[in-house]
Amino acid sequence: MLETDEARPEGGPPLAPPPAPVRRSRRRTLVAVLAALAVLAPIVWSWAASLPSGTWSVTDMGYPDDGGGPPLMPDHGMAGMAGTGRPVDTLRLPDGPADVDVTLVARAQTVRLAGGRTVTGYTLNGTTPGPEIRAVQGQTVRVRLVNADVPRGVTLHWHGLDVPNGDDGVAGVTQDAVLPGGQFVYRFRADQAGSFWYHSHQVADDQVRGGLFGSFVVVPRGTSAVPSASDVSALVHLYDGRRTVAGVDGDLAVPAAPGSVVRVRVTNTDTGPMRAWSASPYRVLAVDGTDVRGPTPVTGAATQVTAGGRADLEVTAPARVELGGVAVVVGNPRPGAAPTPPAPPPTPVVDLLHYGTPTPLTPVTVGFDPTVPTRVFDYAIGRRPGFVDGVPGLYWTINGHLYPDVPMFMVREGDVVRMRISNTSGEVHPMHLHGHHAVVLARDGVPATGSPWWIDSLDVPDGATYDVAFVADNPGLWMDHCHNLAHPKQGLVAHLMYEGVTTPYRAGADTPNDPE
Amino acid sequence: MRATYRVLAYLLALEVVVQAAAIAWAVFGLSTWIENGGVLDKAQMESDGTAFDGVLGFAVHGLNGQMIVPVIGLLLFVVSFFARFPGAVAWAGAAFAAVIVQVALGIFAHSVPSLGILHGVVALVLLVVALVAARKSSGAPSAMDDEPATGAHAAKV
Repeated sequence: MLETDEARPEGGPPLAPPPAPVRRSRRRTLVAVLAALAVLAPIVWSWAASLPSGTWSVTDMGYPDDGGGPPLMPDHGMAGMAGTGRPVDTLRLPDGPADVDVTLVARAQTVRLAGGRTVTGYTLNGTTPGPEIRAVQGQTVRVRLVNADVPRGVTLHWHGLDVPNGDDGVAGVTQDAVLPGGQFVYRFRADQAGSFWYHSHQVADDQVRGGLFGSFVVVPRGTSAVPSASDVSALVHLYDGRRTVAGVDGDLAVPAAPGSVVRVRVTNTDTGPMRAWSASPYRVLAVDGTDVRGPTPVTGAATQVTAGGRADLEVTAPARVELGGVAVVVGNPRPGAAPTPPAPPPTPVVDLLHYGTPTPLTPVTVGFDPTVPTRVFDYAIGRRPGFVDGVPGLYWTINGHLYPDVPMFMVREGDVVRMRISNTSGEVHPMHLHGHHAVVLARDGVPATGSPWWIDSLDVPDGATYDVAFVADNPGLWMDHCHNLAHPKQGLVAHLMYEGVTTPYRAGADTPNDPE
Repeated sequence: MRATYRVLAYLLALEVVVQAAAIAWAVFGLSTWIENGGVLDKAQMESDGTAFDGVLGFAVHGLNGQMIVPVIGLLLFVVSFFARFPGAVAWAGAAFAAVIVQVALGIFAHSVPSLGILHGVVALVLLVVALVAARKSSGAPSAMDDEPATGAHAAKV
């Protein structure tokens, strides 16, 4: 090789140019080195550029996107420049009495599910799912979260409840994770009637899989929040890969007299979409905690519930609500009779774009005019190889960019916002915007014609494009991410940021906070 | 460098075999699991807890195919610049190109399942290309390793 060539004793006088073979050999080696560099340098550079810093603020993430509206700049809340913005922890209710007062104690432990199996995970007040919280619309809820011994800390996020930002429960964004021995008090008014759930948003993927969640039901004003047999919460969850409903390892039996009408609040606490169906006719009363107008009976079709999403199904006893492997069994045909066997899943799926009473989306029906948006954002989900935090992989992209170089959707309070969510990544993504409900305008360019379809968790399959709209009416710093909780770790997370809002909290390896 | 080239090329061929074995194991395991009452939907697919004989095959196929195989292909390509024998760069380049196409097919077949047919075909193309590359590198030592066999400087120096 080169060195031996140079060391050749018979190479002529010391200062003479080396003979042609040596030059050729040298040139070839040089070309090989340059070619290797050309191949490897971009890879090494993009790896080095992706190395995470030990602590970061969400306000510094990505690049501002003002959606074509009046330009807005993120408030980085620089040290020593106090008073430049409203910190998220001032965006809370003033202190006062609460109508519903709950203490939840989080533990890492092994627990026995109703119906037999023992699972290792997390509990709230000794059970998983945690206790159901029920409130009447308009009541103030106070929840004291105590961490007994969950090593990495916990938080509680109120999924679907548009609470003040300071109570949103995202570690490193709206609060610090509650470490063992610590506590955090959440306070908010339950203004929306419907089905919701709460779950940890610290190391969320692991903690939600492990059972750190529970049901949250708000009943309409003038009704009673006392649990009744005609109102059933069906939190569907896979523990160690086996499906359970409401913490029962098997079917959930609901006593009901023949002919009685029962509301089953199907809540998907897992990381991928699931379906619910019944051999008997049923109605989809509500989606994501918002009532459907004029729900019609459904026969021979399943209802898709995306990860994090809810669908309230109304059945008449006796009936089985199938959830795929487990069911809610409402009443029994005859006492002592053999139970009805599971019904196979129907192929058709209820299309919520056209379900319910046809309603034009106007200021009268949805409270704002979605045809005159202040800002229009794109949230285009793709996929490409690259590095995130120094680890190579095939990662999700947002508008073509890899995390953390993702858009920061900038809004001003009162803006009407349209967002086009599209997916060409090859996999379904359950997209969840915190703190807001959006109304679906169209799918793949086909306008919505049914009841206004309000969502907080939207199933966006590969190849689909959704147009949604919402009013920016809840100032803060809000996550807008995929609720397949493994995906935010792989870069599928962006934020909605209000002008002038900042946060004192930070996340990253040097902090206890890891929201994903 | 020729020895390294040869090892990487055979490794790449071996990886194709591993990929085929892993996915076959997984598919049979999955169908058996469903026969015995397992219910597969997206939520189940995304849960870490799905457990049956063969589920590891999916993980191996995905991780191996998206990470290890591309790394081997890339290393083979880089090493080919230094492995001086006729066709070294061309065969390594072809193998690397086949790897890229194969990974892309593996990704896009999730949107267009019929691309899976090509995914199966390109696997065999990659196997053959990798084997040819390995054989080429282990043929009679070529004069290229030192100097071209023809021309004014054909004489060994």
